Amino acid sequence: MIAENTQTQMRKGILEYCILSIISKGEIYASDIIGELKKAELLVVEGTLYPLLTRLKNNGLLSYSWKESTSGPPRKYYQITSEGTEVLQKLDITWKELVYAVETSLFGRK
Amino acid sequence: MNKTIIININSIVFHIEEDAYETLRGYMIDIKRHFSQSADSGEILLDIENRIAEMFSERIQTGRKEVINKDDVSEVIAQMGRVSDFEEASEEEEKGQQSFHQQEPSGEEDHKSFPTGKKLMRDPEDTTIGGVCSGLGHYFGVQPKWMRAFFILFVLIGGSGVLLYIVLWAVMPVASTRTDRMAMRGEAPNLQNFKKSFEEEMEGIRENLSGANAHFSRGLRTVGTGFGEIFKFIGKALAACMLVVTGSVVFGLFFFCVACTLAIMGYQEEIKFPPLEILQPGQAFFALLAGTLAVALPFIALFYIFLRILFKIKPLNNYLSLGMWATWIVSIIVVIFYCVIGAQDFREDSIIKVDRTLKTQSVYSFSEKDVRVIEASSSADGKTKYDIQVDGESLHNLLRSDIEIRFESLDSLEKPFIQYHYKAKGKSYQLAAERASKINYQAEQVDNKVIFNSHFALGADDVYRDQRVNVVVYLPVGAKVEIMESLQNKIREIAYDNCYDNYTDESKTKQTEWIMTKSGLTCAIPEKLDEEENEEKDATQSE
Repeated sequence: MIAENTQTQMRKGILEYCILSIISKGEIYASDIIGELKKAELLVVEGTLYPLLTRLKNNGLLSYSWKESTSGPPRKYYQITSEGTEVLQKLDITWKELVYAVETSLFGRK
Repeated sequence: MNKTIIININSIVFHIEEDAYETLRGYMIDIKRHFSQSADSGEILLDIENRIAEMFSERIQTGRKEVINKDDVSEVIAQMGRVSDFEEASEEEEKGQQSFHQQEPSGEEDHKSFPTGKKLMRDPEDTTIGGVCSGLGHYFGVQPKWMRAFFILFVLIGGSGVLLYIVLWAVMPVASTRTDRMAMRGEAPNLQNFKKSFEEEMEGIRENLSGANAHFSRGLRTVGTGFGEIFKFIGKALAACMLVVTGSVVFGLFFFCVACTLAIMGYQEEIKFPPLEILQPGQAFFALLAGTLAVALPFIALFYIFLRILFKIKPLNNYLSLGMWATWIVSIIVVIFYCVIGAQDFREDSIIKVDRTLKTQSVYSFSEKDVRVIEASSSADGKTKYDIQVDGESLHNLLRSDIEIRFESLDSLEKPFIQYHYKAKGKSYQLAAERASKINYQAEQVDNKVIFNSHFALGADDVYRDQRVNVVVYLPVGAKVEIMESLQNKIREIAYDNCYDNYTDESKTKQTEWIMTKSGLTCAIPEKLDEEENEEKDATQSE
C-alpha cells in the first residue's frame, strides 16, 4: 500500500514534466501525447490527460488551436507558450538535480 | 437483431445499440460526477466528449459498420480510462478540493453523509401531499418513502404528525426552479450540475417508462448498503405493520357502516351509534355514509401508500386520486351539514310546568321505582331482577333518566304539591313544546309513600332532543320527610351523603330522615362530629 502510494506520487510528479516536454517538441494532439507516453512506457489513460492539459493551459503554460480532422470532430492541438518554456527550463534544472540526488543516493547499493 | 438509438455527441450523430448506450450513459454520468466540482469541468468534459466522438468515428466504416456496439464502447472506455483510474492520478492535484473527494468517490456516499450545504425545501416533483417528506428526505439523505412512513407512524400515534406536517408545509418553501431543486439536493448551482440535473430528469422520465425494475435498481443505488439495508428492512417491517393496521381499520369501518345501516333501516338493533339517533332515519343514512367516507378515505389512501412502499405499485392515476379527494371533501361537507341540521333541532327549548297536589301526610316517604326491571320475590336461579325487553330490545334503550328532584318550602298551612318541569328542544319553539308535552312522567302517591319512576319513556316515534324532567316538591315547613337511598342520584341541592354520615353505624338504614324548614330540607339527625371526637379521645386514653 505504502509502496503503491509512493509509486503513484513519483509517477504523478513526472507526468506533468513529461507532458510539457512532449508538447515542447511541437504542436501535438492529445491522443498523440498518449502515444508518446506509451512509447515512454508511462502508462496513462486519456481521461487523466484532459484535466491536466486544461490546468496547464489555464495556467498559461500551454495554448491550443482547433484543427479540422478527416475523421470526426475538429481536434485541439496543443503547443507550449513562452511561459511554458520558462517553466520547463526550471523543471529541467530541478530534474537534473533530482537525478543527481537519486543516483548519488543509490550509488554503491547492491 | 438489435434496437439502435441515435445519439448526438457534440453535434456528431451516431447510431448506437441500446445496451451500448446504457454503458456509455453510465460512464458519462460517472465522469460528469467526477469532474463536477473542478472549475474547468466544462472544458474537460468537452474534450472527453470530443475524443469519444472521434474514437467512435474511427470505428465507423460506411457501408460495413455503421452502428456502435457494446465492444466499441468498452474499448473506448478502456482507452479513456475509468473514473477510478483518474482518481489515482488526480488525487494529488486535487488536494485543495479534498472535501469534494471525500464526498464523492463513487457518487453514492454523498447520499449518506449528513448535509452541509443543503436547503430544506419541498420537492414539487415527488409529492404525495405537499412534497414535505421528499424534501426532508433530500435534506437528511434518506429516501422520501421512509420519511413518509415515519410521518404516518406519527399520525397514527396520537395524530401529532398531522400538525407537524402542516407546520413544515407552511415553513418549507417549494423548490420550484431548477436552482432551488439543486440547492435542495445540496448541489452547487454550476453549469455542470444544471446539465446533470436535467439529465437526471430525463433519466427519471425514461425510467418511469421502463417500469418498476429500473426504479428498483435506482432505489438500491441511492439507499446504499449496510446501514441503508438495515434501515430499509426496519422500514419495510414497519410499513407491513401499518398496512395491516390501516387495512383492518378500513375493514372495520366497512362493517361498522353496514351494521349502522341495518340499524337505521330497523333490521338490527344491537349496534347503536348515538350521533345517528339524533337524525331522522333518512338523514341518518346519508350522514352515516358521509361520516364513514370522511374517516375511511384517508385510511384507504394510507393503505395504498403502504402498498406502494411494499410492492412498488404505480401511483394512482390522476382522475382516481382527484376523485378520491373530491369525494372526501364532499363527505366532510355533508358531515358538517348534518351536524348543523342536528344542532338546529336543539336551537329552541321549551318548558312546560304542571302542578300536581300531594295529599297531606305527617311523614312523606320518597322512593324510586326502577322501571327497567321486574322484581321477583324469589326464583329458581336466585335472580331477583329481570330486564324488561320491548320488541327484543332492552327497555332501557328507549328510556331517559334525565330527572332531577328538588325540595322547596311552603308556609306551614299551605297544601303540599309537586311541580313538574318538562323540557325539550327543537328547531322551533312549537316543536320543542310539542316534544315537551309528550313527556309522560309523574310520581305516584300511595298513602305516605311518594314513588318516582327511575326513567321516563320517549314516544315510539320521538327522537332524543334533550328531553328532561325537573321535579320540584313543595312541602310545608315542619313536614317530616324520608328519602330512600335509591332516590339519592336524582336529588339536587341537598347533601344526601352528609345526612347519611350522621347516622351511627348501627342505625344506618336504607333511608334518611329530613325536616322541612324555612331555608329548605335539613337533615333530621344531628351531626355526630362530637361523638367522633369523643371516640378519638377514648381511643387515645385506652392506649
